[in-house]
Amino acid sequence: MKLSTLILKDLRRAFLNPFGLSMMFVAPLLITGLIALAFGGMGGEDAQVSIQATRLVVANLDPGSAQAGFSAGQLLTDFLMDESVSNLVQVTSMDDAEAAKAAVLGGEQGAALIIPADFTTALISDKSSTLHLYHDPTLTIGAGIVRSLIAQFVDGFSGTRIASDVTISQFSGRGLPVDEGLHHQVAQEYTAWVTSMGEQGSGQDPIGLTIRTPADTEPVENPIQGIMARIMAGMMIFFAFWTGANSALSILREDEEATLPRLFTTPTSRQTILGAKMIVCALTVAIEVVVLLVLSSLLFRIEWGSPASIALASVGLVVITAGFGVFLISFLKSSRQAGGVMGGALTMLGMLGGLFTEGIQNIPAAFKTLNLVTPHGWALKAWNASLGPGVGPDLLLAFAVLVGLGALFFALGARKFSRRFA
Amino acid sequence: MRVLDIALKDLLQIIRDRKSAIFLLAMPVVFTLFFGFVLADPGGDADQRIPVGVVNQDGTGLVADAFQTVLGASEVVRAVPLELAEGGSVDPLMAKQNLAGVVIIPTGYSQGFYEGRQPDLETVLDSSSMNGTTVQNELQTAVLRVLGAVEAAQISTEMVESRQPAQGEAEARTAWEDAFTRAVAAWSNPPFQIQSEALTTMDANDEPQAATGFVQSSPGIMVQFAVFGLLLPGTVLVDERQKRVLHRLLTTPTSRAAVLAGHWLGFFLVSFLQMAVLVVIGQFAFGVGYLREPAATLSVMVAVALMASSLGLLLGVTAKKEEQVILYALIGMFVLSAMGGAWFPLEITGKTFSTIGHFLPSAWAMDGFQNIVLRGQGFGGILLPVGILLAYTAVFFAVAVWFFRRDLRS
Repeated sequence: MKLSTLILKDLRRAFLNPFGLSMMFVAPLLITGLIALAFGGMGGEDAQVSIQATRLVVANLDPGSAQAGFSAGQLLTDFLMDESVSNLVQVTSMDDAEAAKAAVLGGEQGAALIIPADFTTALISDKSSTLHLYHDPTLTIGAGIVRSLIAQFVDGFSGTRIASDVTISQFSGRGLPVDEGLHHQVAQEYTAWVTSMGEQGSGQDPIGLTIRTPADTEPVENPIQGIMARIMAGMMIFFAFWTGANSALSILREDEEATLPRLFTTPTSRQTILGAKMIVCALTVAIEVVVLLVLSSLLFRIEWGSPASIALASVGLVVITAGFGVFLISFLKSSRQAGGVMGGALTMLGMLGGLFTEGIQNIPAAFKTLNLVTPHGWALKAWNASLGPGVGPDLLLAFAVLVGLGALFFALGARKFSRRFA
Repeated sequence: MRVLDIALKDLLQIIRDRKSAIFLLAMPVVFTLFFGFVLADPGGDADQRIPVGVVNQDGTGLVADAFQTVLGASEVVRAVPLELAEGGSVDPLMAKQNLAGVVIIPTGYSQGFYEGRQPDLETVLDSSSMNGTTVQNELQTAVLRVLGAVEAAQISTEMVESRQPAQGEAEARTAWEDAFTRAVAAWSNPPFQIQSEALTTMDANDEPQAATGFVQSSPGIMVQFAVFGLLLPGTVLVDERQKRVLHRLLTTPTSRAAVLAGHWLGFFLVSFLQMAVLVVIGQFAFGVGYLREPAATLSVMVAVALMASSLGLLLGVTAKKEEQVILYALIGMFVLSAMGGAWFPLEITGKTFSTIGHFLPSAWAMDGFQNIVLRGQGFGGILLPVGILLAYTAVFFAVAVWFFRRDLRS
């Protein structure tokens, strides 16, 4: 009875504190929401990973060829201005190459494509031609996207020339006469093939590749949902550790406010009082995790893993955050030290645990190993594993480590507190 | 003189607090270091292309070889040859070797093309991840080049065949193989190429820097912690008000304007000194070219520090408790950093987000630093960002003064 009264008193205090509520619920949802807004709306079935179109200025210096009856430069410009690629590039054209480069330097354009004067003549002769793409150095992936788009089109021209050259060498090798019509015929056939590939590639399926998802990864309809789930898991873990420590901090606060010594004078055992504090610590994190899971599903349409996986990851998180919170706070002499320790230590550990780098690609493998030096890294491993199909060995291992470490931290912290208040 | 006294008092009070060392210096340096490595420049010494496993079950098949050659020349992915035991699965290998994907060239892949079919490569990757999407696009480019070579060989041999039929199957196959080999070789140096380069105003002696690694993390973390550092001056003001020190100060011949200006100057000094240390560390420890244009860098630092100190003043006069200061500083840091491009470039976000981002002072602070270290611009390149930061300074300061007066009246 005394235990439940103490627990209810502390829970009420925890959930009536606007600052605590903001850190438990508003901050993780706000950060995930901001990142969601940045990369693809607020989740849901229709959300797509989207980035803004790169502003590209094209200076087409290619007058074309009267002999060929077309301008390759104009064909490329028309392709880049086509509605089908307008989500990737926003194209304007200029006559002067220097003015186009100046527009990039001035920040009005993200990139400038200079199509050389010999572009068409190179196509109908045996010469080479180089297009120049100048980009703003602050562009990271936009320049790559523009380059890839141009390369797709220019590869068609290169392929035509290569097909033509190969055919001529085959004819010459067999002593067959090479006439003007041969070039034309090869170009026609290769262009027809390029067109058919373009039509084939306009659907969802890649050309010449059969793709399956790795066995330990749940296939998702929408990539943004997978990324969102990982980012939300990272934020939930970070703020759950904060909540665990903040709940344990109430032991010090009550000691400073002299309510704890007064409680010790009542016929309630010290074990009951401290035990209640530690149960509150676990319950607060448990409520936080459940609320965040529900709210993130509703707000960002995140599809978490199976109920069994979520249960294991949640229990593991509650045990480790409560245990670590008690352990961390047991080292403090007063609540005034809490700001630096909670802000500094938890942020550093969260960073090393990989909580802030979910979604960044190409992270060095050493960092992933380093993650597991911290309890945060194990919690992240458990949550990432819980997103896969069913309860796998990775999740079971992470769960066992979290519970084991949590129990150890808890025992050490509780021992220190018991000695302090003996 | 009184303004200076108050400013120095704030400066000493903040510097003497142990938390200052953590929040103003240790954390930003560690964050810069960490994100600098995480966002490391792929152009460094180590091969940082995305690793992709290749299982060749087609032996010495010509098309299989060609695919591996084309993929081997990729600037985006690094092909890692894998051996797969009979009946084994590639999935455990992917996790073990930290591969972003695996391509299996099936038995009979090359033969399929001789027979006029277009066999598929079996690919295992997580297309819901950024790495998976990138690998898929790169594999698609490589496959299309190989298919282009197959088509060139097909067109060529059919045309030769129409004029001079081959003497039997073996000769026809040799002709096809010869044409295909020539086509694949030609793809290593295609006739139409794209030369891509970053455009800067730097001298020929200056080495252009890419927006990766420390060049992204150093100014980003500096802007982030300029906002988060508001925590400390904000706490000083709240503490003064809670202990009635501020009200006692106003009973002295010190004017309200002098009190406010003194605090503002103190906060400015804290913010400026923090940035000065981080700029020096960024330049000499992380190789970020802040000192390429010292006067321009100094101007941006002053503008950011002025903006941050005004925001700190606003935070201090609006918050009632220390907890509120922490909360406001955290929310301010998250919003200004994420939406202002301090964590990731605004270029990779959606258009709406990017547009909103440029309504925030943090985006202009990032622009100012990037115009110097990445675009190589001098004083001319920072005038607009500095002007906008000063405008924000004026707005934040005016609102802070209004709150301060209202607070004193009540």
